[in-house]
Amino acid sequence: MNFKGTLPTLILQALAEEPSHGYRIAQRIKARSKGVLDFKEGTLYPALHKLENEGLVASYEGVEQGRTRRCYRITKSGKAVLTKDRSEWRELSRAVTLILEEA
Amino acid sequence: MTARFDTPLDSWIGRATCDLSLDSAAQVRAEIVEHFESARETAIVAGTNAADADRAALAALGDARAANCQYRKVLLTSAEAKMLREGNWEARAVCARPWLKTLMQAVPAIPLAVTFVMLSRGEAAAARLPFLASLALFMFLAGPFLPVYTPWRGRVYRAAKWAALIAVFVLAFGADSLKYFWLIASCLWIPIWTEATRMSIRRKLPVAQWPKQLYL
Repeated sequence: MNFKGTLPTLILQALAEEPSHGYRIAQRIKARSKGVLDFKEGTLYPALHKLENEGLVASYEGVEQGRTRRCYRITKSGKAVLTKDRSEWRELSRAVTLILEEA
Repeated sequence: MTARFDTPLDSWIGRATCDLSLDSAAQVRAEIVEHFESARETAIVAGTNAADADRAALAALGDARAANCQYRKVLLTSAEAKMLREGNWEARAVCARPWLKTLMQAVPAIPLAVTFVMLSRGEAAAARLPFLASLALFMFLAGPFLPVYTPWRGRVYRAAKWAALIAVFVLAFGADSLKYFWLIASCLWIPIWTEATRMSIRRKLPVAQWPKQLYL
């Protein structure tokens, strides 16, 4: 399913639950949507870099199973943006549902 | 010389990092290899054979060109990295030749002196042009020596610089400004291109990493 534009919000949500590395973020989004939101994983990292440039996530070196990995965590401003995105999405979703149910 | 790719993953990374700076390309390579290895291991643990796991992990990455397009919007390209390395020519030139600083600060004084001469002759209307030329030259040449060290000061400085520059051209050409727009644009294409590249770099680098020239 095409979910263009919502990937940064989904990344922020995944990181709000737990700091993580890129692969796990991708798997979490796919698993939580029960496979409906399937995206090309090569586009995940540009989105992560953009969020990092905007100060919404921060990266650090983490070690997992003996391997050093670049991990990401959500920042305070990232949490504020996520809260705003959530309420906007609810409003949008409610409005679209109203229209579609009328038809 | 053409790049040689040993594996399909190398080939994917080569296409995804096209035109990126060396540092950005190394960063992309590290994260994609890490991601690929994780995807491959997960598939193997789930019972897929190694060759199929490789293919599936690569397919999951998607189109390398699309990734490259997105990477170029968020990571430094080779042209931007070059500008960052070589863009502080004023500072380097001034450090090598201290007299150049005095000269750069003195140049705007010439049209300013002309302004005063014109004003003393009572040519107040005509004196506006050398005055604005002096202001525009001051904005361009004195920039590296001004205390512009915060994003907010940088925005004010850039707005003042471009306003002064446009005002000089409008005053110089008067009602024909639009007619000579091509001349103005061709004279200013280097500063415009520099400004556009700096804008792009500003979006990609955290403020803490900005060198002085990015504020100007």
